[in-house]
Amino acid sequence: MLSRSFTKITQRALRILALTIACLVVLVPLGYLLLNSVKPQSEMYTIPPIIFPSHITWEHFEAAFSNPRTLRFLTNSLTVTGITTAVTVVVSTMAAYGLSRMGLRAGVLSLIIFVFLFIRFYPRITTVIPYFLVMRQLALLDTVWAVIIGHLGITIPFVTWLMLIVFQDLPREVEEAAEVDGASPLQRFGLVALPMAAPGVASAAILTAFLSWNEFLIASSVTKRQAQVLSIAVASFVTDRGVQWGPMAAMAVIMIVPMILFALFVQRYLIRGITLGAVKG
Amino acid sequence: MLTEERILMSTVKTAKKRRWRLRHDWAWMVAFVVPAALLVIAVQFYPLLFSAYLATQDWTLTSSQFSEGFVGLQNFAKVLQNEVFQRAVRNSALITGTAVVLEMIIGTALAYLAAGSSRIIRAVRTLLILPLVIAPVAAGTLWRMMLNSQMGLTNYLLSFLGIQGPDWLGNADWALVSVIIVDVWMTTPFVLLVVLAGVSSIPEELHESAALDGASRWKSFLYIDIPLMAPLLLLTFLFRMLESLLSLDSIYTLTLGGPGYATFTMTYYIYTLGLRSFNLGMAAAASWLFMSFATLALLVVFWLQRRWQTAQ
Repeated sequence: MLSRSFTKITQRALRILALTIACLVVLVPLGYLLLNSVKPQSEMYTIPPIIFPSHITWEHFEAAFSNPRTLRFLTNSLTVTGITTAVTVVVSTMAAYGLSRMGLRAGVLSLIIFVFLFIRFYPRITTVIPYFLVMRQLALLDTVWAVIIGHLGITIPFVTWLMLIVFQDLPREVEEAAEVDGASPLQRFGLVALPMAAPGVASAAILTAFLSWNEFLIASSVTKRQAQVLSIAVASFVTDRGVQWGPMAAMAVIMIVPMILFALFVQRYLIRGITLGAVKG
Repeated sequence: MLTEERILMSTVKTAKKRRWRLRHDWAWMVAFVVPAALLVIAVQFYPLLFSAYLATQDWTLTSSQFSEGFVGLQNFAKVLQNEVFQRAVRNSALITGTAVVLEMIIGTALAYLAAGSSRIIRAVRTLLILPLVIAPVAAGTLWRMMLNSQMGLTNYLLSFLGIQGPDWLGNADWALVSVIIVDVWMTTPFVLLVVLAGVSSIPEELHESAALDGASRWKSFLYIDIPLMAPLLLLTFLFRMLESLLSLDSIYTLTLGGPGYATFTMTYYIYTLGLRSFNLGMAAAASWLFMSFATLALLVVFWLQRRWQTAQ
């Protein structure tokens, strides 16, 4: 009896230890980034390093925001994310509803689902170069529209796929009852199916926003100056010759802190969205 | 849950009158799908075909505004013989292979450790999934500072343990390790979340009756959880593998492919070839080689998903 409770206590202790280590592995790098963004320039490059700054300085953030380009990065990122998310949710939700209520043969639907899966996971770099050429032809290079359309090409198939799972899980009886009562297809979609699918729509919108905000490859291939977004701004510090840890950390903080706060706020929907595609597919 | 089979059954069973109404609705449903379909064709399929065409052309944008002619499969041959490409394939296999296995093991372990509904454990879970929402470019930047051999935090902390930390990003082998570390740091939470969802879908009675039969928790994990979750784990593994192969952002900000070509992956190689040297033909050929492999992996994913769904 005694030995049994002893192993129980050891097990518990080990569990707490492992979880503490895991939390530290997540938190320490993030804390280090925050500290570097408020560390005075003079304490940045010492050997051995000064981890905790002697005083907090906002000079890197001030420098970032006094540069008009930073504001443009921010507004571009917000525009791209906002428009991409809004268009994706409307277009994909409708498409998924249409696909799930068309009465398609199982084989056809399977094929469509495979196409979605393919678009999500094929090497995107394959289409980025032709996409760049197309945008050049249309004189859309270096505009937010080139970035938005590029993002839509990824998010629409992905979200349609997610919403297809959601709509297929809905009980069909309610819609059939509405149909008997003379509801038009548009009414059945907007007034019956959509309210039931609302949590799924929220998950899809949130995932789209994260995807668009964090995206780098497409944004970097079709923008030069005017339409650059935050991910490009963060990456641009790497190619600069000198080491600029302060501004680099500040820019990374500007990019990730809003999304971390947002993630905490919408955590439930975010997790649902992330697991939905993997668990059900 | 309605599987396609059941949809099919219910469609077949409907009466003639109903069928007419279905066809009547059909036009509406098609109208719902059209905008999405057009966009996918324009932004995905058209560039894909364009890329297949590019793969057979001799076209370097820096020397010519137009293609300099059809070269057949020469681009493919050139890519396959290219030493940087060969190295990139090796690096990709090494990075993805190691990182994904580590992610599966650590993620599964953490999912079990972080299961529960107490307030503290919920807070811990929230914390653990944070890396998932951080932009990969920012994660690469962050670890570039962490792993700086002189001024970074990692080697400073190691020095307390009496360990002289390596030159993480300056040494070719350690740079590969660094890329793996960042991949694991960023995406282990994904495995955690998926496994957590999988575990919670296992009926509680199974564990209870196993416990009654005197099975230890380890045994019930091995003989109940693992077999039940095997398809899910395999799918997660394949998803992670594909995504890891495609990742570019974090390598870009962490190592820029360096030192030298030490951390060039397939994606990074194609990126520099196409969007830095603007050798469109070779880049397209390389990406189609990459694509054929990814398609194969995807067919396996798809097959598994269908099988698993009909089994449910």
